[in-house]
Amino acid sequence: MDKIQKSTKTARGTVTCDNTTMHLLKANDFVAASIREKMTEKNILLINITSSAGSGKTTLLQETARRIGGKVNMKVLVGDLETERDADRIRETGVDALQIVTGGICHLEAQMVWQAMENLNLEGVELLIIENVGNLVCPASFDLGEDYRVTLIATTEGDDKPKKYPRMFLTSEMMLVSKVDLLEHLPFSVEAVVADARDVNPNIKVLEVSSTKNMGIDAWCEWLLEKVKEKQNTKKEVTA
Amino acid sequence: MHEISLVRSIFNTLESEFSKKELDTMTAINLRVGLLSNVEPLLMQNAFDAVTTAEEKYQGVKLQVELVPIEIHCNDCQSSSIVENYKFVCASCGKPNNNVVKGTELLIHQVHFDS
Ligand SMILES: Nc1nc2c(ncn2[C@@H]2O[C@H](COP(=O)(O)OP(=O)(O)OP(=O)(O)O)[C@@H](O)[C@H]2O)c(=O)[nH]1
Ligand SMILES: [Mg+2]
Ligand SMILES: [Zn+2]
Repeated sequence: MDKIQKSTKTARGTVTCDNTTMHLLKANDFVAASIREKMTEKNILLINITSSAGSGKTTLLQETARRIGGKVNMKVLVGDLETERDADRIRETGVDALQIVTGGICHLEAQMVWQAMENLNLEGVELLIIENVGNLVCPASFDLGEDYRVTLIATTEGDDKPKKYPRMFLTSEMMLVSKVDLLEHLPFSVEAVVADARDVNPNIKVLEVSSTKNMGIDAWCEWLLEKVKEKQNTKKEVTA
Repeated sequence: MHEISLVRSIFNTLESEFSKKELDTMTAINLRVGLLSNVEPLLMQNAFDAVTTAEEKYQGVKLQVELVPIEIHCNDCQSSSIVENYKFVCASCGKPNNNVVKGTELLIHQVHFDS
């Protein structure tokens, strides 16, 4: 508070309070910072995957787990409104996954991730991926302490989505155009979606993937492995 | 949408900053909401009315929501400009730019008391 001193003076008239103590997401941001600190300490790369409902997040993570589950020690946290299904699908691939059932809340909050982490053995883990609730609006505002946010947009959606949901694309490191195996049957233009996304975020990286037809998955996994390596190396610099 | 939880967050924030006695004289709350905060003023208003009615507190308090446009700052030409139509380019030199300095805020800007 800049105009009053709490407890010494009674607030009267109009009190202007343009500072962070009145920031409504401060509780979330505080926990997110704690997560970031913990992940840095343990050198775990934390990825937050977002998209609209059904764009192919779980299928991509299944495919990713099959590819690199044997190369890096990875785990997955999955946010879902009501069910446990997506975590089961990941576990089928042999990778440990934990479901966070949000009970109707349309996004994951840092506090939910923090609590879930307490039920997850993070010893030796190098990569933790969070599948967020399928929704491009609310999850955009909630920092989960991730290193990178990756957003999927499927070819079955509108190629003008980045401008409709600018916050999400502004805060994403990477946009994955998913289900590209269906491109020939759809009016979707990859060029248009990339142009739309780059209007919002000129630096956004783009990969085209199909999890069912095995397209672009190598490039995606390579990017992940490279980022895992970078995160591991920060440790050595610190301890050296 | 998470407007209901934001309204609870408004109350929690106020209750940790002000005493019950002070809050009893509160007449209005001004929020500053950036265009990028994903908060819809109308939905916020509805959520506020719903919560104050359901919890029977802060019932005569007015909520004012001020939308803040997106502003970027260009480090190349040192100028600030407003982003129109979510096209993140510097208005003076035309370079792509997503160095957002305003427009993500979601905060209580002012609180009015009747005393
Ligand atoms: N053709 C095609 N279909 C896909 C691809 N990836 C996923 N799908 C299908 O899209 C549907 C949704 O996929 P999910 O992986 O469950 O999507 P999700 O984003 O995890 O969905 P939510 O968690 O509900 O938001 C399923 O029927 C998948 O089989 C793909 O690359 N190509
Ligand atoms: Mg899923
Ligand atoms: Zn400029």
